[in-house]
Amino acid sequence: MSSRENILKTVKGNQPEWRELPELKALGAAAGGVDLSGEALADGFVKVLEAIGGAAYVVSGYDRVGTILRELFPRVGRVVSGCPELGFGEAAGGYADPHELEDVGLAVLSAHFGVAENGACWITEDRMIERALPFIAQNLALVIRKKDVVANMHAAYEKIEAMGLGYGFATFIAGPSKTADIEQSLVLGAHGPKSMTVFLVDEEMSDAGFY
Amino acid sequence: MKQNGGKAGKGDHAALADAFNKDEARVNWHDETLWWIRQKRDKAAHGVADWELLRETASRIKENVLSGLGGYLEQFEAAAAANGVTVHWAADAAEHNAIVLGLLRRHGVDKMVKSKSMLTEECHLNEFLQEQGIEVVDTDLGERVVQLAEEPPSHIVLPCIHKKKEEIGEIFHEHLGTPAGNADPQFLTHAARLHLREKFLTRRAALTGINFAVAETGEFVVCTNEGNADMGAHLADVHIACMGIEKIIPRREHLGVFLRLLTRSATGQPITTYSSHFKKPRPGKEMHIVLVDNGRSVHLGRKEFRNSLKCIRCAACFNTCPVYRRSGGHSYHTAVAGPIGSILAPNLDREKYADLPFASTLCGSCSNVCPVKIDIHDQLYKWRQVLVQSGHAPVAKKAAMKTMTWVLSNPSVYHTAGKAGRWFMLNAPFTVNNGMNPWYKQRDMPPVPKESFGEWYKKNKK
Repeated sequence: MSSRENILKTVKGNQPEWRELPELKALGAAAGGVDLSGEALADGFVKVLEAIGGAAYVVSGYDRVGTILRELFPRVGRVVSGCPELGFGEAAGGYADPHELEDVGLAVLSAHFGVAENGACWITEDRMIERALPFIAQNLALVIRKKDVVANMHAAYEKIEAMGLGYGFATFIAGPSKTADIEQSLVLGAHGPKSMTVFLVDEEMSDAGFY
Repeated sequence: MKQNGGKAGKGDHAALADAFNKDEARVNWHDETLWWIRQKRDKAAHGVADWELLRETASRIKENVLSGLGGYLEQFEAAAAANGVTVHWAADAAEHNAIVLGLLRRHGVDKMVKSKSMLTEECHLNEFLQEQGIEVVDTDLGERVVQLAEEPPSHIVLPCIHKKKEEIGEIFHEHLGTPAGNADPQFLTHAARLHLREKFLTRRAALTGINFAVAETGEFVVCTNEGNADMGAHLADVHIACMGIEKIIPRREHLGVFLRLLTRSATGQPITTYSSHFKKPRPGKEMHIVLVDNGRSVHLGRKEFRNSLKCIRCAACFNTCPVYRRSGGHSYHTAVAGPIGSILAPNLDREKYADLPFASTLCGSCSNVCPVKIDIHDQLYKWRQVLVQSGHAPVAKKAAMKTMTWVLSNPSVYHTAGKAGRWFMLNAPFTVNNGMNPWYKQRDMPPVPKESFGEWYKKNKK
């Protein structure tokens, strides 16, 4: 018998009597210390993201995203953008090899939604240009719509299910790459991006105050 | 690389803890650092209103998994295969290592990057591959530190928690050429970033662990803060992901439960920086999953102990354990240390790990923080009974327990012994406070009472 057959035979012989799966419905009535009511979700998201080392801006549109990014990263070098509305950055796509992205200073990508309880954004590979890009870039900026913030991870998976997106790879990203392996001292920028900036686009917002 | 446990370990938990305890200042520092992480865990857990419901739900999902594991494994295999992933089955560590070696040989790879996988520690994959001429670079910063120091990890989430920054500075000075005497964590982390980036960019094979594998969709999730699993996997031609068969969960929506619990329990963060869902290989590239049994299927049949297979490897039980905090991870001489390791290891080898269930005060804190509600301290207690009955208990312990049985079952002997004990501790402390009595190691004893509770009660009961 092969190992597969052996393992399955032993497992099936030893597994206990069937136990039903629990209901998940009651979960998530309260997010991780975050107010769940409409407008408060985005505020909660921003608060948590800032607490874990990320930065967040609520903006009226891509014009503002571009302005802020130019201010934040004046000498960042190579910029790769998955957001054509941005108006700058490399016309992305068609890389023969992800290693070509090793010197990217800033990647700007459009994510699907944010999660208020933990500051994470969900992004599937079709929006990453290359799977390696959100990890290999020195800095990462993600853009979501302000109304696309869900309360918690239960709501997140419901949304993923409802969107029906097929993906070969997808990830939640919550803040910059980090480590505390040396004496528990937190250092941002372990292997991946040293910074993570999330833009929450609010189309109804007026730019008047900015100029 | 020194092996975990066995001869290189030189002794059991008590002897190894003894060695660790020689440096009192370091023990206190180790203790305080881990307790600080435990406090961060508390803060994060208390911030979630339905935390207890989450734990209960996670526990029940895992009970369902164990009750239907065979079917879930088949479902997972079929779904993963449909996604273009090759699934391998390994009965034990040797077969797991041979499968990995075979894949590397087939691709002509002699250098590989690896992100954190306690399973490969359990299987001693690094040592095996090195003997076969294959270089393995651990890419988690803490794991890279212990790898360069030729030590096993001392903690499953924080592999080099036992090392001072000055020691890490020295290791980096020797191996990475950083300036002597520089022990700044920011500087050292940046040096490691540059050193490992070169590895990521030049290696064609990457091995990762798996936190959760979804039977329904065939996808698996890898959680890291550093991004090292992703850096390795997305730049490599071959991605090999290894998992113990108990890492299966039924549906994707169950990830919502486990991802809320895992990192809050581990480090007090709301979630890891990256929770990556791997489903299909990149076009033209390969993705392999190795399902490893290594004793788990047999363990599943042990009614009293099977619950330990619910573990999601958060290490909350390590951080809270008064014994772990003061004896260090290496004293457990096994890949997974701490309370959970102490109930997992005897399944693999009762002889070798008979000491571990005794390395506990049975205070129960481990069970209280466990996000999947494993009855850890109960299992430690049950293992002691099994080990004594099967003749695996340490000799001194057996003799002491026999004496205790005699004393406790004879009231007059008990009272005389109590009196004698108090008299000796008061008048001749050297007879008890000496090298023969482990209770006095690294401990100051409280003052001796003049009378027993029994005597006090008799006097005062009117």
